[in-house]
Amino acid sequence: MALKVQAPKSKEQRSGTSESRVRFFEREAPFGYALVLPAVLYLAIFIAYPFLMAISMSFTDAQAGNRKWTFVGTQNYSKVENYQILANDFVIATLPTEAAARALVTARTQGKVVTATAGKRYRANIEAGGLTLPVLEMDTEEDASFLGGTILQDLEWRVEKASGGRFRVVAHASDAPVTFGPYADRASLKRELREDILVPARTSVKTNGKGVMQDPNFLLALKNTFKYTFGTEIIKLCIGIPCALILNRRFGGRRLLRGLLVIPWVIPIALSAQAWLWILDSTYSVINWCLVHWGILSPANIINFRGDKNWAMLSVIAVNVWRGFPFTTIVILAGLTAIPDEILERARLDGANGFQRFIHVISPMIRPILMVSLLFSVIFSFTDFNTIWIITKGGPYDQTQVLSTYAYQLGVNAGYLGKGASISLFMFPIMAAMVFFMLRFLRRET
Amino acid sequence: MADVVLEKVEKRFGDVRAVAGLDLTVRDQEFLILVGPSGCGKTTTLRMIAGLEEVTSGDIRIGGRSVTHLAPRDRDIAMVFQSYALYPHMTVARNMSFSLKLRGMPKADIDTRVREVAAILGLTEHLNRKPRHLSGGQRQRVAVGAALCRQAGVLLFDEPLSNLDAKLRVHMRTELKRLHLAIRSTMVYVTHDQVEAMTMGDRIVIMNLGVLCQVGTPLDIYDKPANRFVAGFIGTPPMNFFEGEIAADSAGPAVVLGGGLRLPLARQDLVSSAGRPVVFGIRPEHISLTETGPAISDAARAAAGKAAKVPATIDVLEPLGHRVILTAGSPAGPFQMETEIHAGIRQGERADLWFDMNRAYFFDRETEETI
Repeated sequence: MALKVQAPKSKEQRSGTSESRVRFFEREAPFGYALVLPAVLYLAIFIAYPFLMAISMSFTDAQAGNRKWTFVGTQNYSKVENYQILANDFVIATLPTEAAARALVTARTQGKVVTATAGKRYRANIEAGGLTLPVLEMDTEEDASFLGGTILQDLEWRVEKASGGRFRVVAHASDAPVTFGPYADRASLKRELREDILVPARTSVKTNGKGVMQDPNFLLALKNTFKYTFGTEIIKLCIGIPCALILNRRFGGRRLLRGLLVIPWVIPIALSAQAWLWILDSTYSVINWCLVHWGILSPANIINFRGDKNWAMLSVIAVNVWRGFPFTTIVILAGLTAIPDEILERARLDGANGFQRFIHVISPMIRPILMVSLLFSVIFSFTDFNTIWIITKGGPYDQTQVLSTYAYQLGVNAGYLGKGASISLFMFPIMAAMVFFMLRFLRRET
Repeated sequence: MADVVLEKVEKRFGDVRAVAGLDLTVRDQEFLILVGPSGCGKTTTLRMIAGLEEVTSGDIRIGGRSVTHLAPRDRDIAMVFQSYALYPHMTVARNMSFSLKLRGMPKADIDTRVREVAAILGLTEHLNRKPRHLSGGQRQRVAVGAALCRQAGVLLFDEPLSNLDAKLRVHMRTELKRLHLAIRSTMVYVTHDQVEAMTMGDRIVIMNLGVLCQVGTPLDIYDKPANRFVAGFIGTPPMNFFEGEIAADSAGPAVVLGGGLRLPLARQDLVSSAGRPVVFGIRPEHISLTETGPAISDAARAAAGKAAKVPATIDVLEPLGHRVILTAGSPAGPFQMETEIHAGIRQGERADLWFDMNRAYFFDRETEETI
């Protein structure tokens, strides 16, 4: 007790227990650290650790069931084993008259492929209708005659108008293009590209390998992710801006309407997507029922929203828009309410009509907040898994497969943990780039 | 010609009458000030002239043309807002030229006009800056410039100086007055500050509770207030009011205030109405420390005894520098006076003060109209 009435201690002595405890809570910084510690721990355990784990996993051949993971470098990302040339639309011949071209097409059934040596290589000539048409030049006679035969027999020959009033005969593959190769390295690929095909044709290079970059499904998923994200964002803005403009007007029930608006946003997506699943059901879809009931569709050709490859992407976009546009609306509404009334009144006095006020005054003033909303929204859509997983599971035929669902399918369902990890990590640089540009735009604005 | 005529203009918000049957004429090239306390309907009146507020009933004519149902942009007006209402994303030049651009004026003409106006307002070097890089006074001038660029017949100002600090406000007051002399367009200016009203206006309109109280030149209103409200509103410190009664007994005509304080009456016309309950008013600047002080008018000095003696105690001294405001207690109640700095006065001291009865005001106690 006597200690307490002592004169203030010198600085070195102040580390006594009772005093230092009081001082700890009074000092801002350490107390602040203590408060954020749980959050930091949470981030470290549930965000940072899995993220770092995924990075390390993407460099191994990790597979479900494998006890030992070995380092394989960037093989999961990109590992080219060989190249192939895909060729289509071979221009067999260019003839002066349409009749001559048609005659050649008819003569195709009697035509034949003749191979001849050309230096060290073999040339495939198509002989039809009295013409000898050199088409290909290959390293082996088998290749030359096989691929020449493919062009002659399997492809669809058609007559097209060419420049100078002439007509050309084009061999077109409607399902799969003609494949040349494989070639082990780029040098030989380039040489073959130059030398193999003697007639004009549309060619592209296909890389084969184990990495996800060589996986056509991955490339499709990447394309779908962009389609999904930007389709969603554009539609959200198209709906959100008018909604916000309407809700910014004064009318009875505005508050109620504002409250109701956010319902799609606050309902857990797992539940609302389930409702959408029924709405988009192939047999019991209420949309189809209505369309049939109103006589717009006949029962025979109702829309298979989730199963038709043309409708599936639209369906998942619609669900995501339904869920996300309230957020966009609320954010834009916040931006609109932040515009002082006097500025809009001045615009009226200046002679701006409603449209001019929106273009010249409102939209530049809400642009920064619009960018923030877009930033959040793009991140949500780009990484969205729930909507697609519940509605289509990526189907049909991967038409709605996005990076997140594909990573899940490959990594968790199929057990290729390393590849799954590398797919999910692919999103990281893409999003980092998008965020970077958006933030830079935002900073330039303000 | 751009005179503004308001005829029986009325504005209701639900059950509330913001402006009640206002008749007002703003002459061409006049600087008219609408002044009154908050909620008196002055801003509503201005906004009705601008077309930002619908008129419930009545008619507004600008330059002889009825604009009551015209859109703001068709009214030949420009307005300066209290918050300046500058477009934050536009440069000063674009802020000033926006209305001209919307009207499809050729770009070269816009440039010339913006440069002219910018030169008048001293904004030339700021033309390419955004409003947020400007000081309050500069923003104020941009707002005025944007209104000037329109070359509208009528310029409306909605408390444009209230967001400035005191020193800048005094400066801008002079600037705006000079501007009016230079461009000579009709100006309607709303303020709640009676000093602004007195110093700037050709004529002042005083409003209270949605009703017009008095219209007149500043000195008219100062010298001949129509009622107790106007008398109390114009002038700093405000006029002193005492309740009293006219008396005409053996001791001579007088007004008897609370505490039995008896002041001789200078106005003979009131002698006949003995017993009438009145409100006695006297301005602080018409009270003197001596019977012959400078605050006493020559007329009162000539008619000896017409400066009335009031025994008082000095409670508070508020020196302004060259002048001092004294708050004093008298048998009739506390009052304020303004006088030159006087070495003799001390707080708590008893003194005889002198009211200039020639410049006293009498108001009816019921109607509060000036008698």
